[in-house]
Amino acid sequence: MSWWDIFILECRAIFGNQAIMLTVFGGVIFYSFLYPLPYAHQVPREQKVVVVNLDGSQLSRKLERMVDATPQVQLSERAYSVGEAQQQFVDKKLAGILVIPENFYRDLLLGKQPTLSFAGDASYILVYSTVLEGMLGAGGTMAAEVKVSRMLMSGQAMALAKEQYSAIRLNIRPVFNKTMGYVSYVIPAVFILILHQTLIIGVGILGGEQNEARMKGLGGYWMEAQPFKLLIIRALLFVAIYWILCIYYFGFSFEYYAVQHFANLAELNLLILPFLLGAALLGICIGLILPRRELATLIVLLSSMPLIFGCGFIWPTESVPAPITAILQFIPVVPAIKAFLQLNQMGADFSAIMPLYKQMWVCVALYGLLGWGILFLRRRGYCTSEKGPDILCG
Amino acid sequence: MSLSFFSRINRELQELIHDRWLFSLLSWIPLLLLALMWLIFSQGIPREVPMGVIDLDKSTISRALVRHYQVSPTLTVDDGYMALHEGEAALRSGKIYALAVIPSDFGANAILGRAPQVTVFVNSQFLLVGKIVTSALLQAQGTFNAQIEVGKNLATGSPVITVAIARALPTANQITPLFNISLNYAQFLISAILPAIWQIFMVAATVLSLAAVHRNIGLASWLGDSPFRSLLAKFLPLSLIFWLHGAIILVVMYVWIGWPMHGSWLLLLFTQLLTAWASIAAGSLLFFITRDTDRSMSLASSYVAPGLAFMGVTFPVTDMTSLAKIWRSLLPVTHYVEVQFAQVNYGAPLTSAIPKLLALSLFSLPMFFVFVLAYWFSRKARAGETA
Repeated sequence: MSWWDIFILECRAIFGNQAIMLTVFGGVIFYSFLYPLPYAHQVPREQKVVVVNLDGSQLSRKLERMVDATPQVQLSERAYSVGEAQQQFVDKKLAGILVIPENFYRDLLLGKQPTLSFAGDASYILVYSTVLEGMLGAGGTMAAEVKVSRMLMSGQAMALAKEQYSAIRLNIRPVFNKTMGYVSYVIPAVFILILHQTLIIGVGILGGEQNEARMKGLGGYWMEAQPFKLLIIRALLFVAIYWILCIYYFGFSFEYYAVQHFANLAELNLLILPFLLGAALLGICIGLILPRRELATLIVLLSSMPLIFGCGFIWPTESVPAPITAILQFIPVVPAIKAFLQLNQMGADFSAIMPLYKQMWVCVALYGLLGWGILFLRRRGYCTSEKGPDILCG
Repeated sequence: MSLSFFSRINRELQELIHDRWLFSLLSWIPLLLLALMWLIFSQGIPREVPMGVIDLDKSTISRALVRHYQVSPTLTVDDGYMALHEGEAALRSGKIYALAVIPSDFGANAILGRAPQVTVFVNSQFLLVGKIVTSALLQAQGTFNAQIEVGKNLATGSPVITVAIARALPTANQITPLFNISLNYAQFLISAILPAIWQIFMVAATVLSLAAVHRNIGLASWLGDSPFRSLLAKFLPLSLIFWLHGAIILVVMYVWIGWPMHGSWLLLLFTQLLTAWASIAAGSLLFFITRDTDRSMSLASSYVAPGLAFMGVTFPVTDMTSLAKIWRSLLPVTHYVEVQFAQVNYGAPLTSAIPKLLALSLFSLPMFFVFVLAYWFSRKARAGETA
């Protein structure tokens, strides 16, 4: 069979298969809108908090206003005892509690260090950290103001007092995702996973279907074609389809969701190649092994959670047990997510991602060889059986 | 030929056992995935997250500050970076998650009381790690500041240590992370991830099990003359198996690992049963709409895969757009997880779970459609047969 024949037959098999088209184009476009949907507001804001002001002084009310003024927190309820606050917290599903103690103002004047109590619902840790950030920020500002006014009272000049209220100052600058937005956090990594997973499902459905036919004793061009040619044409066809979808994701979607990106076009494309090729070849291998086509979807679906949490973008790789990390390295998406994030989100040099890049090519070689081996053995078995037409196998 | 209900159930069980993939999907694969997720998060709290320090000062005070960062259990400090571009490259390539730059006149300014500034660049692309690092840095900085200022106050005339402390820190903060006292990330993530995975299993297994009869004996002959009984005979054992999975998840989290659980086990288990039925309804509706294995699996995976994002655990529901809220309410597990959190954390009264239970029972609507579709399909098939 010539390259051209196989190419035409593959095209027909891919584009004529509704399930593949639905997964590949439907899936990618559907996910590109569905996945960012819950995070559309980027950062949690104005989380509802209950305040217990046992002091009632002017200063304590000022603190209340300061907390309320932060973008993270809104003082929506007021309670007159800690018990009542707890009740409201549970009943109204609030995010936090602020307790200003009795004699807060008096103790502050006396230099007795009153204690402010902050509580948050830590079963939602990310929301908790937002709420605490807001409340502690306001509390810290209040403490600084108190210090400055004390220094002024003791004869310090305003300019000096402003500078000296703290021994050293800490300036924390979030970089790469300056607003700490969720869309910019989740989208770049998850989109890579979506490309990888739908690509494997697509190739897997095709392979699984042909495998199903093979087990029923049927043949086809995919048994007759030379393994090498079939492997290359199938992989490159899917790479070509997904290159278009990559352009859609990295181009349209990133612009649409205003995700910042650093990589230049040439380097990005250089990285896309082994990523798509590795995924396509892995998909071919999976398709060759599976007895039925729908199982490709199943396997990919079940693998998504361990992949997303094991690949290091949510949970640091340093904290994942080493054997699991080691196994995951053989899935193309794991080095790919790291490489894409570093290159496109964090602006690393291409030389810095070279180890990951090589690793991705190792995946390509590995699954290429594996796929070729299986196809080769299958075809030999097919040709030696009486079913195999000698002309094609010769 | 009409089969009795029990022989129908028996037929389903036989099939579950003989279909290798279906059997694995309902037995060891969920356990494997559960073990895997637990292992990934087994550390609970990220420790020794690498950060870099560029110490341009190298004075006693700057080194004391670096030591403060170093002793934080969250951080591990590499202060070998000599110049900004070195540190920047390490930060960009993900070797370190934060980079602190201590200016060259840091120590001198600190002694002169000019409040020098340390700038720390935190990689917020990895939001969760970034937040963890930030809070560790703030803590280290806080104690360091207090130490210096208390020392200064003692030197300049506050003879009593408590007064010196109060002058340095006018207010003290007592911070209470409720319901997850140790700020255990594993508890936070796993208690949401496992139900999300459970949901994936339930919908996928429902579709696959319908696909199995479709492949083996054909949908029409399987439904036979009483589609209602055939479906029920399939759903009943499935729902019980799913229920068992759900119970295992609860037992693993709140008995075996031993995270605190304040609520009613009975209510949780009841909610799980409803969730299992709701998921079966959703999965089988997807199958009966397409009556095609591939396409229904495709639809099912788009339906359940992003479930975790919509659960409102990582991002509050109150900040979701209404479109997201609508999609969210279509996923049974989001209702379940709210009951789980409310029960486990607050031991909320039973009445508070009623809206969620009602929402789950609304999934009887898709179930109704499934029965209608099955009835319509089997009648059409039989009409075709007789014609």
